[in-house]
Amino acid sequence: MMLKVESLQVFYGAIHALQGISFHLEKGEIVALIGANGAGKSTVLNTVSGILRPREGAVAFEDQEIHEVPPQEIVRRGVIQVPEGRKIFSRMTVTENLEMGAYTHTDRAEIARDMESVFERFSRLRERRNQLGGTLSGGEQQMLAIGRGLMAHPTLLLLDEPSMGLSPILVEQIFDIIQDINEQGTSILLVEQNAQMALAIADRAYVLETGKIVMQGTGDDLLKDPSVIEAYLGGH
Amino acid sequence: MRSSAVDKGLRTGVVFGIVIVTMFLIGFTVTGAGLVGKIFGVQSSYSTPPLVFFSIFMILVGAWAGVTASPRPLLEADTWNRALLAGGSSGAVSGLFSAIIGFLFGELNSNRIDPRTYLPSVSPESIKMFLFDQTPFIGSLLMFALMTGSGLAAAALSFYLRNNGAVRSSLRKASESVWDSIRSERVSNIIQNKYTRYASLLAFAAILIILPRTWGGYWNYVFGTVGIYIILGLGLNIITGWAGQLVIGYVAFFAVGAYTFALLTAPEPHHLMMNFWVALGLGVLAAAISGLLIGLPILNLRGDYLAIVTLGFAEIIRILLKSDLMTPYTAGPRGIRDIAGPTILGKSFISDVDFMYLIIIAVLVVTFLANRLQNSRTGKAWYAINLDETVARATGINAFASKLLALSLSAAVAGLAGVLFASRNQFTGPDDHALMVSINVICLVIVGGIGNIPGIFLGAFALKGLPEILRETENYRLLIFGVLLIVMMRLRPEGFLPAKRPELEKASVQNPLGKEA
Repeated sequence: MMLKVESLQVFYGAIHALQGISFHLEKGEIVALIGANGAGKSTVLNTVSGILRPREGAVAFEDQEIHEVPPQEIVRRGVIQVPEGRKIFSRMTVTENLEMGAYTHTDRAEIARDMESVFERFSRLRERRNQLGGTLSGGEQQMLAIGRGLMAHPTLLLLDEPSMGLSPILVEQIFDIIQDINEQGTSILLVEQNAQMALAIADRAYVLETGKIVMQGTGDDLLKDPSVIEAYLGGH
Repeated sequence: MRSSAVDKGLRTGVVFGIVIVTMFLIGFTVTGAGLVGKIFGVQSSYSTPPLVFFSIFMILVGAWAGVTASPRPLLEADTWNRALLAGGSSGAVSGLFSAIIGFLFGELNSNRIDPRTYLPSVSPESIKMFLFDQTPFIGSLLMFALMTGSGLAAAALSFYLRNNGAVRSSLRKASESVWDSIRSERVSNIIQNKYTRYASLLAFAAILIILPRTWGGYWNYVFGTVGIYIILGLGLNIITGWAGQLVIGYVAFFAVGAYTFALLTAPEPHHLMMNFWVALGLGVLAAAISGLLIGLPILNLRGDYLAIVTLGFAEIIRILLKSDLMTPYTAGPRGIRDIAGPTILGKSFISDVDFMYLIIIAVLVVTFLANRLQNSRTGKAWYAINLDETVARATGINAFASKLLALSLSAAVAGLAGVLFASRNQFTGPDDHALMVSINVICLVIVGGIGNIPGIFLGAFALKGLPEILRETENYRLLIFGVLLIVMMRLRPEGFLPAKRPELEKASVQNPLGKEA
């Protein structure tokens, strides 16, 4: 099992953000966490990547507990987070952003090869490689954020709201890219408010409500589930 | 049309009038006249400068008023009438203000009332000078005429220069030809030629070697101080400019370096008399360790905790050094005297020239190291933390360790500056380490251009060198300083020389690693 999260309890001060969450992810899967604002989706990702510490519960990656491992070590083991809201280094160029993604790698020839493959996947980034990150369009910034994640050779990629604030066409493109990355062997844990798109590409999915998992199943099953349709897919 | 010109002249005149009145009340008219005298090579410190220079000073102020009021060609109709009306009314109004204040104080003076009781800068001599050594009535009339005249003349002159085709085109031609020759291939070849670069480096080195020998002790002292502040600026820049963590009490590390060195080498109070170079190393080390200890408990927090904690640390150190409690160990408020100078093979080097060399070498070494650091992996990690700490951590940067390293490197550099400072003065006391040092360093980093090494050099020269060059204006140093800061932040919010991202310069680089294409 690639990732196993067990009865995770996370607090922000007095706020009980995650109230005992358990889920798992098999090698090669796309697993989606869907839910409304404030359900705790990003908290799950931040806990898996080590930026937040759980009060109780455990996170295991490739059968080793990582919930007390510092974030930089988790990155080295291959769990890479692409943070929410297209967080890139806006005052660094595209190239520099990608180099930062390979911060844990030191082989310069390898970094150059990785950058080349990112540029092959995202040709827009190649055109704009000497431009400051902050001057890119929203879609390009999201591509840069994902590209930066790929530079670190993820075995598990944590994607936080990749569709946020993008036009429908761009959302389609980004989800195609996510599927493509997955087909080349990277497992993906996807957090989304856009339940329709997320469930369409996910092998399995969990529905989060106020810090608890209230439902789970394959992406297709959940897409047909009346209560999911009612709550997250706009009725009917 | 006409009324709007007069209107503008009146408004400008009021502003300049108020400025002149203020200058008179704080005694700046005397200083200004002295400065004009200095430009003409006449030293006149501590006595009232000749009337000629005062007149020139007032004519310059009046001319400034006239030029300011004259029309701006792109926004307003630019005609002789308009220019003269605006300039004349501006000069006249400011002249009226000057005449009234001159007349009032002249009358007071002739009735033997000394205004210095309330306004310490308004001496009878300055009043007499303001009235051109005449009676109050004639003097204020003269002042009015002078201001009106210079306002008119300046407006006319600026109108002529703006609208005279021959002057304008010849000016443009001159500037274009200068630009062309700078941009031309031949010049850029010369600049980029390897040998020219070596030659200019050699010339620069020669200047650095020769100058300290020739310009005398006073300038060695001034530029030694500038050098020490350059080192401080480069050090603070590591943690504040690159890693983005504000440190307000930077002087604390300066004090740790200076006092460690002083206690190890001075005969009083411990008589350790250690070798200069060993003590230098230990001073730097002590400062680095103090940075480490300060950083350990707080650098995993975000926000301005570091600023507040270092501020407190600096004050604690200063107060401890002054206290009775520490007097047996640190000599208390008296400070430590007879601190050692550098020795090489038993020969001691303590002249001002030797110290200038030592400081120059230290500046070069720190600059070299800072430059290497900036472009290193660590430097990039600092910049990433500065931009967005969460994302930096998500890319695998150990934010805590990086910040800790930055803080102790910063502290070590400050320690080096402290050692040089204490050794050069052969004395250090608690008052050398007041909070003002920190504020000065922060200011010079911000004014020069945060995160940029050449900017820090410029900032240190501007903030520590200029005030020495303008000794005449000493009483107004803080005033000018404040005005400078405000103007700076309005005009160039990122500093004189803002940090440039080098990769943006080479847009044609083909290699994704940013190596030479």
